[in-house]
Amino acid sequence: MSQLVLFNVFNGLIVGAFYALMALGLSLILNLSGVINFAHGGFLALGAYFAYALIPFLGFWGALVVAPVLVAVLGLGVERVLIRPLYGADPLYGLLLTFGLAYILEDLTRLVWGAQSVPFQAPAALMTPLSSDYFFLTGYRLVMIGIVAAAVGGLFVVLNCTRLGTRIRAGTRDLETVSTLGVNVRILRSLNFGLGIYMAGLAGVLAAGLLGLSPTIGANLIMPSFVAIIVGGLGSLLGTLLGGLLIGVASGIAAVYVPSATEAVIYVMMGLVLLVRPRGLLGEEGRLH
Amino acid sequence: MPELAAPRLNRRAVVKGGLALGAAQLASPFVLTARAAEAVKIGFDNALTGPYAGPGKNELVGCQLAVDQINEKGGILGRKVELVVEDSTSGDAGVAVQKARKLIDSDKVDFLLGHLNSALALAMAQVSNEKGVLHIVPGGHTDAITGKTCHWNVFRVCNTTATEANAVAGALVKQYGKKYYYITPDYAFGHTLEAGMVKAIAALGGERVGGDLTPLGTVDFSSYLIKAQAANPDVIIFLIQGDDMLNALKQATQFGLQNKVHLAGAQQEMEPLEGLPPEARVGTWVMEWYWKQPGAPHVAEFVDAIKKRTGHVPTARTWFGFVSTWTCALAAAKANSLKALDMAKALQDFHLPPEIALGPNPAYYRAGQNQLISTLFVGDAQAKGEAPEDLFKVTKVVNGADVAGTLEESECKMIWPS
Repeated sequence: MSQLVLFNVFNGLIVGAFYALMALGLSLILNLSGVINFAHGGFLALGAYFAYALIPFLGFWGALVVAPVLVAVLGLGVERVLIRPLYGADPLYGLLLTFGLAYILEDLTRLVWGAQSVPFQAPAALMTPLSSDYFFLTGYRLVMIGIVAAAVGGLFVVLNCTRLGTRIRAGTRDLETVSTLGVNVRILRSLNFGLGIYMAGLAGVLAAGLLGLSPTIGANLIMPSFVAIIVGGLGSLLGTLLGGLLIGVASGIAAVYVPSATEAVIYVMMGLVLLVRPRGLLGEEGRLH
Repeated sequence: MPELAAPRLNRRAVVKGGLALGAAQLASPFVLTARAAEAVKIGFDNALTGPYAGPGKNELVGCQLAVDQINEKGGILGRKVELVVEDSTSGDAGVAVQKARKLIDSDKVDFLLGHLNSALALAMAQVSNEKGVLHIVPGGHTDAITGKTCHWNVFRVCNTTATEANAVAGALVKQYGKKYYYITPDYAFGHTLEAGMVKAIAALGGERVGGDLTPLGTVDFSSYLIKAQAANPDVIIFLIQGDDMLNALKQATQFGLQNKVHLAGAQQEMEPLEGLPPEARVGTWVMEWYWKQPGAPHVAEFVDAIKKRTGHVPTARTWFGFVSTWTCALAAAKANSLKALDMAKALQDFHLPPEIALGPNPAYYRAGQNQLISTLFVGDAQAKGEAPEDLFKVTKVVNGADVAGTLEESECKMIWPS
């Protein structure tokens, strides 16, 4: 039994790392723009389908590089046309807009690629377990963790060591002052939104290797990432990472003892965090006010 | 000035427009009634969006082919047939019921078809029964539809979960061992299917060594697979469907579980198999209809006709839709009436003609239960077959009559209107 729990904790960390990748993109957008991006799952699905369409030409690795960039470009367009007019308005407007957009993106993928799942193929060499005992550790999952680590590391470097990052962080705290200091806030917000959507696209390509690829892939994955943000704390990217890992592990442990509650347990966790520490584990007080 | 040349909207024009619009609104109901007297209407209330959109659309394709064939042969009782299509969504019983009422009350359909989601099919059956409309369920599997809550006006084309379990159990116990671990979706369909499998396997000497109920829409199955492997079974039985099945099979094969234990399940369909990469198409399953039936009469024509429409081979779902629609025409012809009660009586023990049955064994609606008894195909999913869409290798053709259980076992107590 103890080995089973240990395996599931380890496995939960892997799954949690993936949730964290999705949640980081969401968190970036929420922090700077105050937009609760319900369409994140739609962009994730687009990333996966773009990669599916590109693999015959570029191979898996090429698609992994190009597809998220394409999604990010599309995200920039969406930000310019739809999101920008809502900055400064009640967050509810952004939420409603992206909620509708999520449905539009889902049906768009359905229109183009059909309602049925499509066979997405990741490199066969990665699709075998590395050891017979730790059979849940495959090459693909290791690569995925590597990419998540690189993305998280890259994001921290950008945020902490570059001028853009400093501005994003400053903007997160007080956008008005940043604007008064002569920073072009429009461009800042656009770049930040594009970066968030890029991470959604990246998560989408990685997810398609593990899961069946159908138009609902994004909708199925979006809720755990929201929970990750709330558990980890609004305004804190480190908190988001922690939140993702925690819900992955919690869900894994639940599978051992109460298998039908793997989904419920993450919401119970969210409820507890909201009751005891409403700002989230590493969150700042008073975000979104 | 150029602006003056442009047509101007004045009060008079607005009033005229309004009057014209009102007149059109008033006139249109008469136009519709006139049309209704001409065509026999079949109302299709099924999933066209959401997670079940894929199979729902395939059922629709089958219906459309049948409607065209029926019209070519002179329609129903000499009248043209018209299919009225409504998207019920995949999981919202409220919408499905509202659409069923709309089809019956406003469109005045003579037949109702749907739903592939068992829960929605049950909800629709209540409405159709209350309104006394002949209702065919193409693809909702839970036993109750033609079991505990059976109705005189509700007929079902796909099999019960118990029938599917009985069909595949023999092949599994004989070939792959006695210890079974279950991964089961946590809702009505999954519960009855698991109960059916456990019973059928126990009767042959197999046992359940463990199992997990998984929430519908589970994305990550790795933790369940780790548990299943630790229980050291001979066979892991996957009873989940749709996207859940895709996710679980993809992850199980990536973990190499197919090399350690046998992977199997009850119901398998072409829709998920087509969404799996070749290396994940593994396991022993039962299909309710398969397009490759060497020597079976009329199957090739049906496959060609569907391929012409969609570019793909028909799935069991396409066949369900096809049979459901033809059942309407055949019932009306035999009863020589469009009265639901006459047609329902005409369908008792009614045998489908071979060009509709499309299988090696007789296909008939069992009297007293309104359940179609047909043929089931046990076999293995395969990475590569003889043809591009040959994803399943049939190893055993099972006569539905041998595995459907008795009428008493179905627990259906049919009450006919007096």
